Amino acid sequence: MHGWIGKVLRVNLSTGKVSTERLDPAVARDYLGARGLGVKIMTDEVDPKVDPLSPDNKLVFVPGPLTGSYAPSAGRYTVVTKGALTGAIASANSGGVWGPELKFAGYDALICEGAAPKPVYLWIRNQKVELRDASHLWGKDVPDTTDAIRAETDDDAKIACIGPAGENRVFFAAIMNDLHRAAGRSGTGAVMGSKNLKAVAVVGTGAVTCADPKTFERAVMKARDMIQKHPVGGAGLRLYGTNVLTNILNQVGGYPTKNFQDAHFPNADKIGGETLAATLLQRPKGCFACIISCGRVTKITNAKYAGEGEGPEYETAWGFGGDCYVDDLEAVTKANFYCNEYGMDTISMSATVACAMELYEKGLITREDTGGIALEFGNAEAMVEVTRLTGIGEGFGKRLGLGSYRLAESCGHPELSMTVKRQEIPAYDARAVQGIGLNYATANGGAAHVRGYTISPEVLGVPFKVDKDTIDGKPALVILFQNLTAALDSTGSCLFATFGIGADELAEMLSAVTGVAYTTEDFMKCGDRIWNLERQFNLAAGFTTQDDTLPSRLLHEPIKTGNSQGMLSRLPEMLPAYYELRGWDTDGIPTPAKLGELGLAA
Amino acid sequence: MKVLYFAVLRDVTGKREEDWQQPEATVGDLLRALVARYGHGFERWVVKDGDLWDLVMVLVNGQDVRHLQHFNTPLAPGDTIVIFPPVGGG
Repeated sequence: MHGWIGKVLRVNLSTGKVSTERLDPAVARDYLGARGLGVKIMTDEVDPKVDPLSPDNKLVFVPGPLTGSYAPSAGRYTVVTKGALTGAIASANSGGVWGPELKFAGYDALICEGAAPKPVYLWIRNQKVELRDASHLWGKDVPDTTDAIRAETDDDAKIACIGPAGENRVFFAAIMNDLHRAAGRSGTGAVMGSKNLKAVAVVGTGAVTCADPKTFERAVMKARDMIQKHPVGGAGLRLYGTNVLTNILNQVGGYPTKNFQDAHFPNADKIGGETLAATLLQRPKGCFACIISCGRVTKITNAKYAGEGEGPEYETAWGFGGDCYVDDLEAVTKANFYCNEYGMDTISMSATVACAMELYEKGLITREDTGGIALEFGNAEAMVEVTRLTGIGEGFGKRLGLGSYRLAESCGHPELSMTVKRQEIPAYDARAVQGIGLNYATANGGAAHVRGYTISPEVLGVPFKVDKDTIDGKPALVILFQNLTAALDSTGSCLFATFGIGADELAEMLSAVTGVAYTTEDFMKCGDRIWNLERQFNLAAGFTTQDDTLPSRLLHEPIKTGNSQGMLSRLPEMLPAYYELRGWDTDGIPTPAKLGELGLAA
Repeated sequence: MKVLYFAVLRDVTGKREEDWQQPEATVGDLLRALVARYGHGFERWVVKDGDLWDLVMVLVNGQDVRHLQHFNTPLAPGDTIVIFPPVGGG
């Protein structure tokens, strides 16, 4: 095989057994890799009703066929499991350099099953795979874990690990790789912690081969050129990072504040990408084979919040910033550093703090509950401190670690949790941007922006501009973006390559590297197939059309101030058309005809 | 009218905002006047292949002009115009 290696590594943590098996070329052809292959493995091997934190759940690390090739910005891998936060199929996507290393070691996927009786880490050097004792590492944060494992294995080992948050099963704990990159959402880190698996360390000395090197080279050079010529992919993201979106969303009036009580933040500029570039930014940074370099290497020298690392990204700056009504960029960045060090999803962490702040505002949580912390909107020190407590599993942090849904539910008011399928909604107000709201409600892993990033056409105008406030055409637009993204995610490409290239170029590179001829239509159909397979897993897990919704606030409480004042989400008007266009019945269940079209079993 | 600059346009103009005193009839007239004032550094972010670039985001009183009359959208004294160069995504 080319692009793919042709081998899957399986580790049974209960028995310690390590084995390899052949990657079925038919499966690879239909599901590509990364997200798609991971979802297929989960569907074939895991009961969707399983408890996410039981040994019967599996944790699958999957790069894609483009990962480790020199396709531009194609160095990603996905962690697929049943999410601890959501109970739904979870695919958490991450960059850095870990994914390519797994390919170089000789594997298309790593399946972790069962649970180790004591803490262990997995050490992979090509075909040599061993489970090592990690008792001495348990309790260490991500930087210390990384250093310690490198000292015991190889200075160049690429490490994916959990921090104390994953060990303590914080429901939104992340798996961190290369120190600052996160397979962030849905609690993949908690699943890893429940398996007593501290880290996966990899050194690989092999290579990804190419079926048609000359065609691949031409396709790659064309794709690089298109990305470099695009103002966002070629310059904007490197200059300002994703946090440039702070002022953009605020000016259009779709920047959620105070747990979505409003959608405009007067001090947004103080925490936006322009300010970050002028103050804390040291330099940009890219992942494997990346020509975009959106990453932010940052440093705080002020003694109060001193630290260094990477970030904050837009969602992080929004969550710890506007959503908590905090305008102190250093505080926001410090909270971001804590999330990376302890291994937590910044979106769910920050949005849970914002929810807690509203519960505190309403007297549903008191200073007695918080251990004396005045958890008020705007209190930057409180925001940073409760984030730290969540990371180390102490005090009020233990309750925050359940996520905003379970926190609000424990106070008798689950409607104050801004979640879909118990996953926190990110940094774009669904009342101000209609299509993204439909995406939040229908994304298979719970509320997530990257699954169908219609902010591009609805706000930015990429690749074309649609009116954010209309609902006409939005179901079709959301489906297009969801299918394209599912296919793209499954190749190992970064989503930001779409600031430059599209399905045509991805299909071209994929065909040349694998030797399997994908038309653009074939490629999009893979995305549709993967989407429907995820849907089926969730339906079998017990999700229904009732779960394809938004919090009541977004449906019934109009935005109060800013340029989208007065607006509501019109999700109920869009959902029926979405189901119909997807080829599903009125309950959102894929019809036999649709499944047949995609080659899926009923 | 008030003009707000974001991202790289702040570096190019040296300002976050300014009170623009000349009466400009349309958004296009304003952008061309700003190009004349600030030169090539400004032009490269708002002009492409000789025409005003449709990836530029201009809001007039909070409304995206791409859903009004685009560069022909009329301006009035007292309007607030926000200009984002095409840099954003994520």
